[in-house]
This record gives sequence, C-alpha cells and structure tokens, in this order.
Amino acid sequence: MRVEYINPFVEAAFNVLKEVLDENVKRGELYLKSTSQPVLGVAAIVGLAGDVEGRVLFDMRMDTAIAIASVMNSEKLEKLDDLGKATINELANMITAQAVTKLHDLGFKFDLTPPSIITGENMEVTDQGVEALIVPIELPQGKIEINVAVRERT
Amino acid sequence: MSTVSVTIKEEAEAKKQAELIDYKMVTFSLGGKDYGIDIMKVKEIAKDSEFTYVPNTPAYVRGVYNLRGDIISIIDLRLMFNLYVEKKKEGEPENMIILRLSNNILGVIVDSTDKVVGVSSENIQPPHPLFGDINIKYISGVVEHNNRLYIILDVERIFGGEEELPEEREEKAEVEEVPGYPIPSEEKEELDLNFIADTLATFKGFYVTPVNYDWVKSRFDEWKGYRKTRNEDIQLRTPEEADEFLLSFYSPYTEELLGDDFLDEIKKILPKFESKTLSVWNPGCGKGFESYSMACLLKTLYPESRIKIWANDKDLLNITSAPNLIFQPENVPESLKIFLAEGRNGYQFKSEIKDLILFEFHDILNQNPFPDVDIIIARDVLSFLPLQDQEKLIKELEQKLKPNGILIIGNNERLTEYNWIPVEEAKISAYKRKLEE
Repeated sequence: MRVEYINPFVEAAFNVLKEVLDENVKRGELYLKSTSQPVLGVAAIVGLAGDVEGRVLFDMRMDTAIAIASVMNSEKLEKLDDLGKATINELANMITAQAVTKLHDLGFKFDLTPPSIITGENMEVTDQGVEALIVPIELPQGKIEINVAVRERT
Repeated sequence: MSTVSVTIKEEAEAKKQAELIDYKMVTFSLGGKDYGIDIMKVKEIAKDSEFTYVPNTPAYVRGVYNLRGDIISIIDLRLMFNLYVEKKKEGEPENMIILRLSNNILGVIVDSTDKVVGVSSENIQPPHPLFGDINIKYISGVVEHNNRLYIILDVERIFGGEEELPEEREEKAEVEEVPGYPIPSEEKEELDLNFIADTLATFKGFYVTPVNYDWVKSRFDEWKGYRKTRNEDIQLRTPEEADEFLLSFYSPYTEELLGDDFLDEIKKILPKFESKTLSVWNPGCGKGFESYSMACLLKTLYPESRIKIWANDKDLLNITSAPNLIFQPENVPESLKIFLAEGRNGYQFKSEIKDLILFEFHDILNQNPFPDVDIIIARDVLSFLPLQDQEKLIKELEQKLKPNGILIIGNNERLTEYNWIPVEEAKISAYKRKLEE
C-alpha cells in the first residue's frame, strides 16, 4: 500500500475513536496480510474508489461492538439492534471520511461508498490480488482491527 | 494487538536464546519425532543400502559396513528402541549417522537426518520421565528450537557404558586400528560452514543458498584465517560477530545514493527500450536510495519517456521515511545534483523525480499487483529470504520482467542455478531472462 495512505487512516482511526469514546486508545503495530483472514463477528465495510480501488473493513467482536455502541448512544444496549448497527456504521463512516479528507489535502482523490455492516460467526474475508494493511486499535471495550486493502489503479 | 505483543515477546525470547549458542547438535527423526546428537560425537552423515549381515547378533544390528576401509557396525536405532520402521524398497539407501564415540566408531540408521541446530546449553532441560519410546537413561535432555522439541540422545550411554552390547565385540577388533581417528578436515569444514550458515540465519536473517554460496564460501575461508590469527573460535557467537562476517557482503552504495561509477555501469548494460513508458521495480527499497538514483538516471537518459518506479519494502519505518528523505548535497553524486532542490527542512529531490516513484508498504512475498517492468533492481534482497521464499521471488521476478528487461541483484549474489543469463560485460551483477525458443 502506498506509504502516503497509511498515516491518514491510522490518525483518523485514532482521533475519531478517542473523540467519540473519550477513552484510552492504543494503537498496535501495523502489519500486512494477504491471505484470507477471519472476521471477528461484526464487520463494517466502506468501499473506496478514485485514484485507488479497494475497501476499508472495521472488524470487532460482537461484545466490543455492543459496548462501543452503548458508549456512543449513552445508553446500555443489550444486543446489536438497528440502533447499534447504525452506530457502528456511523463510526466506520466517520473514520473513513476523516482519512479521505486528509488524503484529499495531500492531493489524492477518493470517493467512498455508504458503509454496510455484516455480522455472523465464523466468517472470513479474502481480497484477490490486494494485500491488506492491518491497523489494530486497542480499546477498553475490546479491540478493533482496521483492515485497509487498496491498490493503485493501473 | 495481543497478537502483536505476543510476537514481540517471541522475538525477544528468540533474541535472548540466540545470544549464546554453545551447544550444537545434528538433528534427525525417528518414528516421527525429532532427536539430536551432540555434534562432537558425530563424525559424518552417510547414505547406503548395503550392509554385510552378521549372524547371531541382536535384530537391531543391521550388519557391518565398509567406511572407506574401516569396518564399522551399523545399528538400527528404530529397532533398538522398538519404534516403527518404514520399509525401504530394494536398494533404497538408509540414512546413517556415523558416530565417533570415546572408544569406537559406529553407524546408526535413522529415518531421516535433518540439519545442524545450535542452541544454548542453558535451554536444555532434563528429560521428563514420561518420554515413552526411549529409555530415559539414554536421554541427556530435551531442548526447544524453532517450535520443535528435540530429544537429545546420550550416545555414549547407549553404545558405550557397562552394558556390553553384543556387537561391541566385533568392533573392538577394528577400533584398535583407528585410535583417535581424526575428523577429515573437509567434513569438519562442512560442519563449521553449515553452522555458520545457521547462525547467520538466526542473527541476521541471512540465508545461505546457491544465490550467495560462492561468496559465503570464500568469506568463510578468509574468516577462518582471520579468527585463527586472533586465536578466536571460528563460530559466530553474537549478532555483532555475524554483522562483522557479513560486512563485505553488502553491495557498494548500500543505504546511500548510487555513485556515479555504479550508475555508469548500469547505463552500459541498459538495453534499448522500444516503448515510451519505462517501468522499474525496486523490491526491498529500504529508505529509497536506489529508487531515487534510478529515477534520476532514467530521467537523464530518457527525458521523453514516461517513467514509473514501484518501490516497496516491508519495513514500515524505513519505507515511511522514504518519500520525504532529506539529503546532504555533499553526499549526492555529481550527476544527480541537478535534481536537488532546497526545501524547508533541507535538500530533497525535485518533484519531477519524486513523482516518478511510488513508495509502497508492501511484502513482496504477497501478490505484486502491478504491470510488467523493464528493470528490476533488487540488491541484497534475495539473500535475506529463506530458500523457499527466495525461489518464489526469483520466479516472480522472472514473470514480472519484460522479455528484454534487465535484473540487477547484489554484487555478491548469483543466479546461475536459475533460469537467468548473466550480463557478462557488466561489473555489477546483472541478469537477463532466459527466454524459451
């Protein structure tokens, strides 16, 4: 993945999560992956197009998703209902949008698709021909893995 | 993130273990388990299928064997320890380890011999009473290395000791002929070299393979003499010593811009490019010195062409500093100086150069999703990949390079074993693809 793209995503994730959760946010070591990866249970996907093609996936466990949605709505949610899902979607949207704004300032033009959310057990994600950058973020509610797979349009 | 902290922990542990390698063993497998024998007890490794049967001996004595004139007895360790014996076909050779014990020489048959493994003797733990297959008194310890558990056999106990094994009688006759039989220097040397190769991989991630064997061999000879004059052991005991060993491996202008002389050499071997677009792949570009140098060179030579350089590295820190690298003008070769521009923080290359290069955080062993290229520059990259990955990358280079393209590898690297033709006139290590007719 193009070096210039890395920081905007890392910074956006860090800033947005810190702002909405008002908690101690820690970033793990970044790494690359190209094989199929398990999805933890709740995955929000935002597609990217423009100078690049690809997608950003926000991956977390169900209990993490519920805890985050609870904090963001200031009420205790019991399960990931429509409100919870909308909240996670919004979080994904906020982070990606902020990253794309930063990239725009650097001169890269990206468009994004509306986020979709996928939940279920035992899922895997595979990207043909693209390697994914994994940005692990550790929160008191659990961990979120931000999985960015984009490639240059050739 | 837990995975990250685990890997860091593992790395730290591996580092700690790597610091003191003072016990070397030859490893092999018996009945699907890994075993080791102290390298000082091993004379050599051999393969043969013909043993002369000796009547009236226990079943585990396979017979006697003529080892370059010395008759030694051959014992099947699997039968001796009641392990499963894989039936060999007629004439298929058995794997033997020839042992040099304090009072005799004998051979043992094992399923397969593996390699020489170096460990710290501190990490060897006493055997656990539950190791089923082999009587505990024959085990001198267990040790873990690269996630494999090796059971270290005490061969002196097994074959020496009070227990008069019947086959020893025959041996004694010949043992007297060869007291203190010296290890032939060639074999000793091979073991030394193998062990150095092993430590280079552990300490520096440098893998000895056909790509760099010639250099390693000659460096080994030089190193031997050097260490002898200083009265030091030939083996590499610390990462610093491994660094010292590898010092002369690195190609000229590693971690700096390519000098004018080097650029001239590249200029000489560049083929005639028909197309108006020129693409270059620079895997393992580090901080991007090679990429900048190539960009300037090509811009000078082909000002009209559309030049694109794909530069990638999997070291996040290095690659992220590449796009904004600052240079000191006095360190920049003459021919590149015209492309420098002074910015806020110091001298950088002009954007006409920067825009030619695409720096990517990318692992080349994953898929490389860009079009075929005219030039590949991958100096001292192959040697830092394990053999399997090296071969994978060599194939990948072959697929990605256009038929008339050129590949530049490290000065001490060779691709003669592979499908590549060296560019003879070059003073640098350059190759062309061997095209099928």
